[in-house]
Amino acid sequence: MKLIITDIENFSIPVEGDHKIIKPQGNIQHCIGCFGCWAKTPGKCVLLDGYEETGRDMGKCTELIIVSRCHYGSVSPFVKMIQDRAISYTHADFVIRKGEMHHKRRYKNIITLSSHLYGENITTIEKETALELLKANAENYDGLVKDVYFYQSVEDLGDVVL
Amino acid sequence: MRIALINGSPKVKNSSSSILLEDLKGYLGKNVEIVNVELHSPVITKEDIEELMKTDAWVFSCPLYVDGIPGHLLSCLIQLEESCVKNSKKHIYGIVNCGFYEGIQAKIALKILQNWCLKTGYIWSGGIGVGGGGGLAMISNMKPGQGPKAAIDRAIEKLALSILKNDITENQYVSIAFPRFLYKMAAQLGWRQMIKANGGKAKDLGKKLD
Ligand SMILES: Cc1cc2nc3c(=O)[nH]c(=O)nc-3n(C[C@H](O)[C@H](O)[C@H](O)COP(=O)(O)O)c2cc1C
Repeated sequence: MKLIITDIENFSIPVEGDHKIIKPQGNIQHCIGCFGCWAKTPGKCVLLDGYEETGRDMGKCTELIIVSRCHYGSVSPFVKMIQDRAISYTHADFVIRKGEMHHKRRYKNIITLSSHLYGENITTIEKETALELLKANAENYDGLVKDVYFYQSVEDLGDVVL
Repeated sequence: MRIALINGSPKVKNSSSSILLEDLKGYLGKNVEIVNVELHSPVITKEDIEELMKTDAWVFSCPLYVDGIPGHLLSCLIQLEESCVKNSKKHIYGIVNCGFYEGIQAKIALKILQNWCLKTGYIWSGGIGVGGGGGLAMISNMKPGQGPKAAIDRAIEKLALSILKNDITENQYVSIAFPRFLYKMAAQLGWRQMIKANGGKAKDLGKKLD
């Protein structure tokens, strides 16, 4: 399954194959840093607003595709709030990988990550940051990196098939 | 000199971000005026923005979330970008603490703050990546500069000196001075205590949802 996380409300980009799209549908609450998703309702965020199950969805996907406005090299607040509330994709316990601390796996699936970032004036430094961020995410999800793609506007994503 | 200390943790109480700002406050001394701003939600009030605009330097202190800036704080940064005064000479500093042991893991979050400065025209003036931040609340009673926090406090003291001199410094990366394997063990014990306190079982930490 491909999991798409996007901040585009009227998302209409075609996706090949089995997929799920997480997009803004009603207000989203931000992560409150309680770790309830690890130690209260393991695997699921405790805030019940319709956006609490991304950790589980990530456990079922083979590809995670982010489609977001780029802000300072980061993804947008909506997409980031989704990611923040999905840390239960991993187990709370730590492991050391490549000399650095990360989390143990909860699920067995290996996710390939890519991001499609749009914005009028994405600078070279922001592009570098965005790639580093995706690589760091892949390291933490114990997954793989496909690539980061940049667009001037949402309209420029018109020819893309995910 | 007026310095804004901005707490960007979503936690209203007992955040490591606030502990680090308290330590910094101590090193900044009594000859500066401190303005505390609490950014725990995605919306920053008009009053807070007005207060912030009246200061000479800002210090963001926040946790590392999924290798970057927490979503709610990103939202505040965008709002601040929209209201900032261009070509202001404001100096911006950042302290990003992370749960993993290595402070260097906060490098990308500091870069995002630096990129934000390029958009706002403010002057990025350096930051600290603090590893083992999850352990700070446990040792918050210790005097600054002592025990496992000593190395972190040295970095904070250095940052305070730069702020007071309006200097620009390189980012510093530090970790809690506590062996990594013990930090890992303590955290894992902590998760087990927490799930039991919540009425669950330790083995549920690894629960897989269908
Ligand atoms: C949603 C979420 C995401 C996190 N992501 C990371 C991460 O990518 N790397 C890391 O080292 N710690 C991560 N942490 C751990 C926090 O950075 C750590 O607990 C920090 O000390 C919290 O600071 P605070 O008390 O100031 O909020 C994450 C915590 C949460 C709740």
